[in-house]
Amino acid sequence: MHPFFSSKSIFLLPKFQNSTMTIHTLLFASLLIFSFIHSCRGGNKDRLFTELQNLIEVTTKPMQDGVVLEAGKDMVTVKWKLKSSAKVDADATFKTIQVKLCYAPISQVDRPWRKTHNELLKDKTCPYEIVSKPYDKTPQSLDWTVELDIPTGTYFVRVYGIDGDGHEVAYGQSSDEGRTTNLFSIQAISGGHVSLDIASILFSVFSVVSLLVFFVKEKKKAKLEQRE
Amino acid sequence: MEVEGKGGEAGTTTTATRRFALPVDAENKSTTFRLFSVAKPHMRAFHLSWFQFFCCFVSTFAAPPLLPIIRENLNLTATDIGNAGIASVSGSVFARIVMGTACDLFGPRLASAALTLSTAPAVYFTAGIKSPIGFIMVRFFAGFSLATFVSTQFWMSSMFSGPVVGSANGIAAGWGNLGGGATQLIMPIVFSLIRRMGATKFTAWRIAFFIPGLFQTLSAFAVLLFGQDLPDGDYWAMHKSGEREKDDVGKVISNGISNYRGWITALAYGYCFGVELTIDNIIAEYFFDRFHLNLQTAGIIAASFGLANFFARPGGGIFSDLMARRFGMRGRLWAWWIVQTLGGVLCAFLGQIHSLTWSIVVMLIFSVFVQAVCGLTFGVVPFISRRSLGVISGMTGAGGNVGAVLTQLIFFKGSTYSRETGITLMGIMSIACSLPICFIYFPQWGGMFCGPSSKNVTEEDYYLAEWSSKEKAKNSSQKFAETSVSERGRASTHPQT
Repeated sequence: MHPFFSSKSIFLLPKFQNSTMTIHTLLFASLLIFSFIHSCRGGNKDRLFTELQNLIEVTTKPMQDGVVLEAGKDMVTVKWKLKSSAKVDADATFKTIQVKLCYAPISQVDRPWRKTHNELLKDKTCPYEIVSKPYDKTPQSLDWTVELDIPTGTYFVRVYGIDGDGHEVAYGQSSDEGRTTNLFSIQAISGGHVSLDIASILFSVFSVVSLLVFFVKEKKKAKLEQRE
Repeated sequence: MEVEGKGGEAGTTTTATRRFALPVDAENKSTTFRLFSVAKPHMRAFHLSWFQFFCCFVSTFAAPPLLPIIRENLNLTATDIGNAGIASVSGSVFARIVMGTACDLFGPRLASAALTLSTAPAVYFTAGIKSPIGFIMVRFFAGFSLATFVSTQFWMSSMFSGPVVGSANGIAAGWGNLGGGATQLIMPIVFSLIRRMGATKFTAWRIAFFIPGLFQTLSAFAVLLFGQDLPDGDYWAMHKSGEREKDDVGKVISNGISNYRGWITALAYGYCFGVELTIDNIIAEYFFDRFHLNLQTAGIIAASFGLANFFARPGGGIFSDLMARRFGMRGRLWAWWIVQTLGGVLCAFLGQIHSLTWSIVVMLIFSVFVQAVCGLTFGVVPFISRRSLGVISGMTGAGGNVGAVLTQLIFFKGSTYSRETGITLMGIMSIACSLPICFIYFPQWGGMFCGPSSKNVTEEDYYLAEWSSKEKAKNSSQKFAETSVSERGRASTHPQT
C-alpha cells in the first residue's frame, strides 16, 4: 500500500517509474492547484479601505450626552448625507447605503478579533449593521435603539456607499480619521436573570447533598457487612 | 468487539466463592474485553467510568466553542481568555495527584463520584458570571473534574488483566477525551436551540451550561448506584471484612514518587495529552478568527479534532498491547516514542499552513497521532508500579495537565506569539520532551536500547522490591507479578513459535 503522504511523493521530483506514482503525483498536483485557487478565492485583488473616498458626512447624537447608553433601552440619532464638498454625481454609483456600528481603537486593545485591517474583507472594525437601505439623495436621519446583543464598548458610526455589485465605493464616519473624537459608550445587558441564579443554586445544592447522602449510605452498608 | 488475552476461555469462570461473566485471571481481573457487554462487574465498570469522564470533559471544555459570544458578553480581552484557558487545566494538576492517592485509599468509585458531584456546582454557576474574574474562576473549578481520568485508569487497571489493560485503558480514556470534541459540537447546537426558543444571545449561552452540568451530576449517580470498585467487591466492604489489606499512605506515596519512570511518563504525557488539551482550548477560536468562519462551522472543525479520540486513543492502547504480544515491553516503548515524535512533527507543520483545506487535513492526521500516543503511554503506566499504581497514574495524569498549563502560558497567552507560531513551537517542544522515553528501563524486560538485565531479574523481584523486607509482601503484588510475565514478549514466553 502506498501511503499518500509518504515523504518521497511530497519532497522529491517525481520519476515516473510506474503508473501508480504517476497517479499519485497527478492527484497531489491537483490538490495543490485546488488549494491555491481556494486561498485566492475572491478572484480579484483585495479591496482596500484606503481606496475609498470619504464622501459622506455622518453625525451621531446619543439620546443624552456624556452618559453611557444602555443596550436595549437608549437611542442614538444617526444622520447622513453626501458631503457638500463632493463633486456632482459623485454618488452616481451608489445603489445601497449601509450604516454600521464600529469599535473605537480603545475597544480594540488586546482583542485581535476586533482588529482593523485595510483589506475590506478581513476588516473586523464594524461588525454590527444598523441599517441597510436603497440610496436616497436627500439627507437621511435614523433613530436607532441600541440592540440587545451589542457588547460593552466605545463606538462610532460608519456609513458605506455600495454599488450594484455589492462593493463599497465610498464611506463616511462620525469620527475623525484616527477614530478618537465624537465617540459614545454602550453598556451591554448582562444576560443574567434571577431565575438562572436560583436554578444554579438549587442544582448545586442538590449535587452536594446527594453526595453526602450516598456517603452515609455507604458507611451504613459497610457496617452491616462487617456485622455479618 | 472483543480483544482476547492469554489464558481466556469462552464462557463463565467460577472461583472459590464467585461467578463472573467473563474469563478472569488469578486476581479476578478480566482477561478479555467485550465492548458491547455491560456484565457486572468488569464491563459495567468500563461503561460507567468512560461515560462519567466524558461528561467531565464536556463540562470543562464547554466554554471554548461559545467564546465568540461569551467574550462579548463579559468584555473579555485576549489575556483574560488565555488566563481562563490556563486555569481550566491547572486545577486538575493538583486534583490528579490527589486522586491517585484517593483511589488507593477509598476506591475509584467513591473518589471519582465525589469529585464529579463537587465540581458540578462550578458548571451550574457559569450561568451567573458577570466578569472576567468570574469566568476564570468557574473554568478553574470545573477543570478539577478532569482528575476523573486517574480514577478511570485506576479502575480499568483493577478490572482488566495485563494483556488487555492497554486496550481497556485506551478505550476508556479515549471515549472520555471524546468529550473535548463532542462539546464543540454540542454547545453551539444547544445554544442555537435555546436562541430559537426566544432567548437573547447573552442569555442563551448561560442557559446552555445547565446541560453539561446535569449530565455530570447524573453520570456520578450512575457510578455510585451501579458501579463496583474491584472484581471482588467494594473497597469499603472489603476493608472491613479484612479481605483488602490497608496500606501506609506515606509509603505508597514515597514509593511512587521515587520511581523515576513515573516522572518520565509525566513529562512525555505533558506533551501529548497536554497538547490535546491546549488544542481543545484554542482551536475553535483559531479557525473562527483566522479563516473567518461562523460559530457552527468553526465548532464542527474543532470538534473533529477531539472526535478522533473515538478510535485514535483506543487504537493507541490496542497497538501497545499488540506490540507487547510480539516484542514485550520494549515494543510498547518503541511504539510510544515513534508515534509521539511524529505527532510533534505534524503539530509543527500545522502552524505553517495558510490554507483552510490543508489545515483541516493536517489537523485530522495530527489528532490521530497525538491521541494514539496518549493510549500508548497508558499501555506502559500500569506496569511501572503495583503498590503505587494510583500515585503513578496520578503523576502521569497530572503531568499531562502541567504540560497544558506550561504550553498555554508560554505560547498562547496574550499576543506575544501569533496562534500559528504558537502551534509550531508547541510541536517542536513535543518532540524534545519525548526523548526521555529512551531512558526508561525495566530490569526484567529491558528498555528501548538495552535488553533485560544480565542478572536475570524476574517480575517477582521487581514488584516485590516495592515492599521492604520488614513489610509483609502483599498477595496482590505477587499475583500481578505472575500475570505480567507476558511483557517479555513472544520470544521468551513462547519459545516454540
